[in-house]
Amino acid sequence: MDYSKQINIVDYHRNLDQNVPISYKGPIDEKILQAIGSHIESILSDHPKAGKKIFKIFIELAQNISYYSAEKSIYKDKKEIGSGMVLIGETEESYSFVTGNLVRNEDILSIIDKSEIINSLDREELREYKREQRKLPKGPKGGAHIGLIMVALTSDNPLDIEVTPIDDDHSFFSIAVKIDK
Amino acid sequence: MENIHIPGTHGANFIPTVDFNAETGICTLGGESYLEDTVEFYAPLFKWLKNFTAETKKLIVFNFKLKYFNTSSSKCIIDILHILRKYQEKGGEIEVNWFYDSSEEDIEDELEEIEDFMIETNIKINMIPE
Repeated sequence: MDYSKQINIVDYHRNLDQNVPISYKGPIDEKILQAIGSHIESILSDHPKAGKKIFKIFIELAQNISYYSAEKSIYKDKKEIGSGMVLIGETEESYSFVTGNLVRNEDILSIIDKSEIINSLDREELREYKREQRKLPKGPKGGAHIGLIMVALTSDNPLDIEVTPIDDDHSFFSIAVKIDK
Repeated sequence: MENIHIPGTHGANFIPTVDFNAETGICTLGGESYLEDTVEFYAPLFKWLKNFTAETKKLIVFNFKLKYFNTSSSKCIIDILHILRKYQEKGGEIEVNWFYDSSEEDIEDELEEIEDFMIETNIKINMIPE
């Protein structure tokens, strides 16, 4: 029997840092959003300001994964749900919120461009950029194109973006943000 | 015109509480707004407001009592404000109020967002602490 080789849970466990109050990998549907969302609300109640910020950031980034991840899970009702990873790390002064998912290479440049624009702007410029982008026609299911901008405004820290090539068609895109306690 | 009443829920999605009253001209959107398909939920509300503003001459009071809304919902809030703006431009009277919890931890972010709504739509929103 060799089931365990397929998913090496020991490696996965070792690779996670000690202070990771939440880690999830898999399809992100409404039920998972609700479960992780209410868990975030409860474990972060000691730091309500940071907790509320993390909750907002979580909703935007998780919804991005659910709509746009190149890795899809197909449910019984034939609905496609995007898959990805969500982690929350904790240090004494701050929380870090990290998501990762597969992105098709043809889509990756526009995401990197947008993130670089966001990181180059100060708060007032960022608000102006948000107002401009919000004027664009809605995306699928009503997307407002301002999720990442709102994440940067809410965390009040730059977006930490990493892109790792996976194969000819896909890259792994991860985004980390810091939220001060 | 039929009124709209939708009780809000805090379940798998956060459905806002909606109370649109054609007799009084008072419309309230409260609670939390985070939906899987924002357009699907808000489209009937836009339609109601467009019909109402086409046939009424009343003062329309729009009360926002939202505690949380995601970015897709923010776009729909802007759309509502645009409908009210058009009503105002053709001579209709409007009053837009935003109720907020001043003890809320991240209130600065919320106030900034409301200020941006005003800049984007050119509508005066009365900020009312609760």
